[in-house]
Amino acid sequence: MMNIEVVNLSFIFSEGIKGLLTLGTIGVVFSVILIILNEKLKVKEDPLVEEILKVLPGVDCGACGFPSCKMYGLQIIKERKLNSFCKVGGREVTEKIANILNIKVTPESSFKMVAVVRCGAEIGEKKVSTIYRGPKSCRFAHLVGGNIDCKYGCLGLGDCVDVCPVGAISIKKGKAEVDIKKCIGCGRCIEVCPRNLLTLVPVLVKEQQEEKLSVYYVACNNKEKALYVKNVCSRGCLGCGICTRTKNSPFYLQENLAYLDYKRKADSKLLEEIRNKCPTKCIERNES
Amino acid sequence: MKELFQIFISTVLIHNFVLSYFLGLCPFLGVSGKEKSALGMGLAVIFVMTLSSSVSWLIYHFILVKLGLVFLAYVVFILVIASLVQIVEMFVRRYSPALFKALGIYLPLITTNCAILGCVLFMIARDYHFWAAVVFGFSGGVGFLLVLLIMAGIREELNYADVPWVFKGASISLITAGLLALTFMGFSGLLTS
Repeated sequence: MMNIEVVNLSFIFSEGIKGLLTLGTIGVVFSVILIILNEKLKVKEDPLVEEILKVLPGVDCGACGFPSCKMYGLQIIKERKLNSFCKVGGREVTEKIANILNIKVTPESSFKMVAVVRCGAEIGEKKVSTIYRGPKSCRFAHLVGGNIDCKYGCLGLGDCVDVCPVGAISIKKGKAEVDIKKCIGCGRCIEVCPRNLLTLVPVLVKEQQEEKLSVYYVACNNKEKALYVKNVCSRGCLGCGICTRTKNSPFYLQENLAYLDYKRKADSKLLEEIRNKCPTKCIERNES
Repeated sequence: MKELFQIFISTVLIHNFVLSYFLGLCPFLGVSGKEKSALGMGLAVIFVMTLSSSVSWLIYHFILVKLGLVFLAYVVFILVIASLVQIVEMFVRRYSPALFKALGIYLPLITTNCAILGCVLFMIARDYHFWAAVVFGFSGGVGFLLVLLIMAGIREELNYADVPWVFKGASISLITAGLLALTFMGFSGLLTS
């Protein structure tokens, strides 16, 4: 008995050593080949790429239209022009990149984009004549017609809250609100809202206090005529057109609904004046 | 020659890695969204499969069998595949940036593609000689590319189809894959042994 065990042990031992050595040798051979090839086949990269990558947020969100931050960096180095810009980094990052590349920042490329909710009605302002007891999800509620009477308004069940990667959206008084300081403008909430209430708009940066951001928008999405709007909501846009009639007004009407044209330049003074004129107070200002 | 041809036909159509052995399903479902990326992935797989089956054959027969260490086959094959993928990636990056751009993301993915390891293990189990092993690896890759392209074509069309809500997304692609596998069963009478 003793003998057999001893033989077995030594057999296993020698076999194990042999296996380890073989495996180790193969591994070492391959790793040496890899190391040599890695040194020989190194690709020289533009040193600018590293610098720009340091500045960029590095989240690879794809909002600029390129699959990753690196691809975006390569493209702007190639073009030497800021045709698309980093939405997450906003003005700061754009300026840093422009410094690295020695190019000028065009005004379009320095805007930060944020999401706004185009419904400003709180609980009590929007009429509710049904009781909704379904799952707490906007998309479910929208399937059965919604939990409020308005067919266009915010359902307030917070699908956008769940999908926001930075927690910038919250439900307050039955409507979604965006914290524009936190918002990175990735646009994920746009896809999820069944009523298409969220849009990305450029932020107005006040010239002297750069940290203070503000954005004006029409907080209504109801395209029906004034009579219907009044029936379901006290904050809805009636399509009266008062906002379009001020001089140099950037507002315009379409399908009984006012829109703000962000491409036209307007200072905050003018916008504030128009905001106060709106009879239903549905032009809103979001500040941080 | 006839034997090699038989191996080619049988691996591409009759015993396709994806549709009859169900190997490499992850990239099959993951990369078949667009035809362009499917083509890139398929070409990369052909390349790596051919290389790894031939190199593995050499290592298996000239090192492992001679030393009586056949039980190490699995570990060694994984080692070989991973290193080969790395080497291929380096070469492609250096000498063909355009190809690297097209294949770039898919090359490292291949390391964990079970179709490659499956190919190597089948080749050992079936006792192929060297050239048969090379052809087997190459045709396995061709079969993978073929199926990936067919699937990508169908899925691109599916984007425009009016799919019922419950079937949208992953379920309809799995149903498509199942139907595709059934269709490929029709090839089973192609060769008589």
